[in-house]
Amino acid sequence: MAWSRKSAMFASLALAMYLLGLTLRNQQLVSVAVVIFVFLTYAALFSGHADVAASGKRANEWEGEEGIAFSNIVAMRKLSSARLFEDGEVKITLRVQNKSALSKIVEVRDRVPEVMRIKEGANYIIMELGPRRETFIEYTIETPLRGFYTIGPVSIRMQDTFGMFHKEKEVQVYDDFLVFPKMEDLKDTFVKSKVPKIFTGAVNIRQPGPGSEFYSLREYFQGDEFRSINWKAYARSGKLMINERERDAVSDIILIVDSRAVAETGPVSRNALVYSTRAAASLAKYFLSRRDSVGLVVYGDEIISVDRDTGKKQLYVLLTKLAGAMAKGEVPLQVVVNRILPHINKGSPIIVLSNLESDPTIVNALRDMRARNFDVTVLSPSSLEFEFDARRLDSIGYEVLKTERDVLISELRSLGVFICDWEPDMLLSTALAGARGF
Amino acid sequence: MVTSNNQPQIPNQNNSTSHLYDGKTVRAAAPSRKKAAGSLKSSTEIPKDAIPDVQIPSFVESLLGGPIVPKIKFLPPDKIVKNLQLFSYGILMILTFLTFLTTPSSGTVWQSIIGTGVITDSIHLIILTSAGLAGLYSIKVRDPRWMLASYLLFIFFGLRFASSQVTLAWGSGDGDVFDLDKNTWMEMFLVVLYAVSLVMYLELTNSVIRFSMLDTSIKTNEVYVMNVKNIVKKYYKSIIINPIVAGILATLVLSINTIIPYFIGWFSSETALRLENSVELISVYGVAIGSLVVFGIVGLLFAINLPLRIQKYREKEKVKELKS
Repeated sequence: MAWSRKSAMFASLALAMYLLGLTLRNQQLVSVAVVIFVFLTYAALFSGHADVAASGKRANEWEGEEGIAFSNIVAMRKLSSARLFEDGEVKITLRVQNKSALSKIVEVRDRVPEVMRIKEGANYIIMELGPRRETFIEYTIETPLRGFYTIGPVSIRMQDTFGMFHKEKEVQVYDDFLVFPKMEDLKDTFVKSKVPKIFTGAVNIRQPGPGSEFYSLREYFQGDEFRSINWKAYARSGKLMINERERDAVSDIILIVDSRAVAETGPVSRNALVYSTRAAASLAKYFLSRRDSVGLVVYGDEIISVDRDTGKKQLYVLLTKLAGAMAKGEVPLQVVVNRILPHINKGSPIIVLSNLESDPTIVNALRDMRARNFDVTVLSPSSLEFEFDARRLDSIGYEVLKTERDVLISELRSLGVFICDWEPDMLLSTALAGARGF
Repeated sequence: MVTSNNQPQIPNQNNSTSHLYDGKTVRAAAPSRKKAAGSLKSSTEIPKDAIPDVQIPSFVESLLGGPIVPKIKFLPPDKIVKNLQLFSYGILMILTFLTFLTTPSSGTVWQSIIGTGVITDSIHLIILTSAGLAGLYSIKVRDPRWMLASYLLFIFFGLRFASSQVTLAWGSGDGDVFDLDKNTWMEMFLVVLYAVSLVMYLELTNSVIRFSMLDTSIKTNEVYVMNVKNIVKKYYKSIIINPIVAGILATLVLSINTIIPYFIGWFSSETALRLENSVELISVYGVAIGSLVVFGIVGLLFAINLPLRIQKYREKEKVKELKS
């Protein structure tokens, strides 16, 4: 049984009055003290602060009316979805049962992660739960940020009607769910591999060959397919012209996401890491839909990598890794490059998502990549802009840092790296097009 | 968005990207940084709206109990709060009258400083009136600070050196309409009534704040209350039963000078008579002995874990009732 501040105040007041009454020989004060003591005793004894023996179970573990326990309150929870995207909604159903033969006034609070917003209903309920009755509490939360989250425990509190004493138990029932970064729909990323793989696929490699995309027109040679003749061009020029198509191939795309501590500079919902993970998710979805192999490297305090693969399953593997990316550590890009380059096919496109801050190895790392003929694209969400937008950076500081950043970007561009200084209001596809010089 | 089990929601597949970037206007071109930089002041101060507004109940509010909810301006009172305000007004009137009745100016600090006279009586009345007015205002505006001021004034008003026995303001002289000076039972009844009304005043005014906070939380969707009527009914029931029980127990404690001689009288009527006339037993020390006896019993009840046993008994009875 826990005391509230109110009961502590009443008890202190009663004690003080009792002692003062004896000191001043004032019977009235002693009488008031006695009445307060009685009041407290009544609240403690008779106001139904029952034993809150409680147990938690998941809904699927529930097996019916077995083991009716004394004064038992059971809580179970069900989530509408265990995996969803940012700005999605989860409907939570909490089932609370009173297995006791007496009705109880209980306060139930289901603990929700702090970043979540409650959209409908409430996770804090005060109710009178009748004997052997159950109730369903439904509420909906919004998930504004990616990550792994846990809902629970359920706090159940019973207190007397005067709010003097309470008993509280935490029902250890937890439910996990995963929030993926939201994705932008990309039309064309302008990222094309120069090196074909053995099996043809849907990726254009800027070489004429069997494929679906138009590449150029050329004169007809003996042996060309008759159906490739461009009759309109023939009509114009009087020569038989052939439609050449761009060669398709499956290519390996490597996404490198910077999740060092510095990547989280800026407001919680608008920082380089948030933008990088969203961009990586969008790019992964786009490339996988083209039947490319996509691999992922997330580096922060350690290097987490997902091997290249194709298909929908790979998308969820990548999304899961991106959802769990935490801004920690300061592993330099050079370490990542040294570790992964030997395992990547030469010429494969590599997309680096980093704010390019606090890493002295960036220039060397990207130079190494270019030296091995990798097609390197850097999308750099600018932490400066996030900080500046949030008015945490004054204009002089901003201009100085911006100049330094521009110098770095120019240096990287001179290495042959496609780079875009990605500002907060810019669409991903625009940033990507800007990086590729279109 | 529609959700289904274990299937993630795919954001809209059309060209609109307004759902991205926190609903900001998305432009294809980058904004002019120089223009933005020029329009900003060079202050590095963190803007006020960037700091989350976390509001925690003040110490005074937390003393008044109730759920921990953000401190927000109280909404217009609902029916429960209005009823409680009315009860509080009523009990405040009774308390003020009983305090005036049971607390003469003799033995007070101001009397010992100034001496007996009109000024002392005026100060005496001013303090009581202030306590009453502070109480009235605090109930009306539901302000815990004024409530606390009212409590302190009422308690301060009662602090006096009272030479052990009960003395009433109307207990002597021409003003003694009810012959209180001789009617000891009436005296005791008034003292008990005063004590009970003081405690009820504390509780009812607390409940005004408590239920206001709860009502505000309900209306702002922070908390959902099921079966409000039943919960309020239980509270009303408690505020009727509790003062009755408190009054009876307080009467028992104050009547110790009658109860002890009564039991002793079974064995020796002479000793009982001596005890009845004992200065110690009829004084404040008698009350102290009485309260020690009563609370000794209460302590024993706690020691044997009576609340749990009562609960078990009630559970068993209910089960039997349901089975039959």
